Amino acid sequence: MRILVVDDSEAFRKVMTELLVRAGFHEVSEAGDFDEALKVYKGNHPTIVFVDMVLPGRSGVELTKEILKTDPNAKVIAMSSIINKSMIKQSLDAGAKDFLLKPTNEIALSSVLSMWSD
Amino acid sequence: MSLFLFKKRREKKSIRESGLGISRKYSLPPGKSYVIEETPPSISFDAFSNLISTADERGNKTVGMAVTRQHPDLVREKYGLEKTPIYWLATRAGEGVISPTNLGILTHTMIKFVEDNENGVILLDGLEYLVSNNDFNKVLRVIDQVNDHISQSGTRLILPVDPRVFEPRELALLERNMEKISALATAD
Repeated sequence: MRILVVDDSEAFRKVMTELLVRAGFHEVSEAGDFDEALKVYKGNHPTIVFVDMVLPGRSGVELTKEILKTDPNAKVIAMSSIINKSMIKQSLDAGAKDFLLKPTNEIALSSVLSMWSD
Repeated sequence: MSLFLFKKRREKKSIRESGLGISRKYSLPPGKSYVIEETPPSISFDAFSNLISTADERGNKTVGMAVTRQHPDLVREKYGLEKTPIYWLATRAGEGVISPTNLGILTHTMIKFVEDNENGVILLDGLEYLVSNNDFNKVLRVIDQVNDHISQSGTRLILPVDPRVFEPRELALLERNMEKISALATAD
């Protein structure tokens, strides 16, 4: 299963990738902003995309909409370092399947992956 | 009399958070206490906020109460908590503040929550601060006392612990009647 992690923090992407690899997901790609994410998405069509809602330039909500326009079956998981109810609602309304609070951990990540990986 | 009781019940403020429409990520069965060795307590807060913002597989919602060293306003902002009671462990006087030396009030507040709520979760963050203000055995007695009530209830206790602060013997005593949760976490 291919996974894409979109976050402007390289440090976060690295540790997230490490957790995913430890969980048995070896095909993980990364992107730091909207344009790079869309390019990577179109290139390898990952099964799950973790998207930070706050990205430089165009937001995670816009990215979610764009990915779903490209592939209506895409599974986008929104991420943010605070629980902002209106931002989460916007993400879910845009088509995100779930939400993950940053920093995340093996337990929360495994739960999301088992729920949305089939 | 019954009219008075009805009025009193009606006036009880709801402490239930509205759902976020996201999935429950932590399976922490009630009636147990969970210790999480971590610094900072990010897994503990994530688990706490996730439990009270989601429903279990039967659709039941959970209510929470937090006791923390962090200022309640910051906790509310980060975790989107509007109604959950949050007590600040601090030496300042004021509403919603529990002094670290007043273990009686702390114990009473947690036990009352356990008794008043059928499906609850308590987050006790700041154990290190409590121990630095009291004898370790006194704090352990508080935990044991609350744990006894938890084990006969539908509530669970989440206890983040900084393992660097405690001696192995103290950690063993703290964890003897609790379930230990370990997980790697990302940075913020």
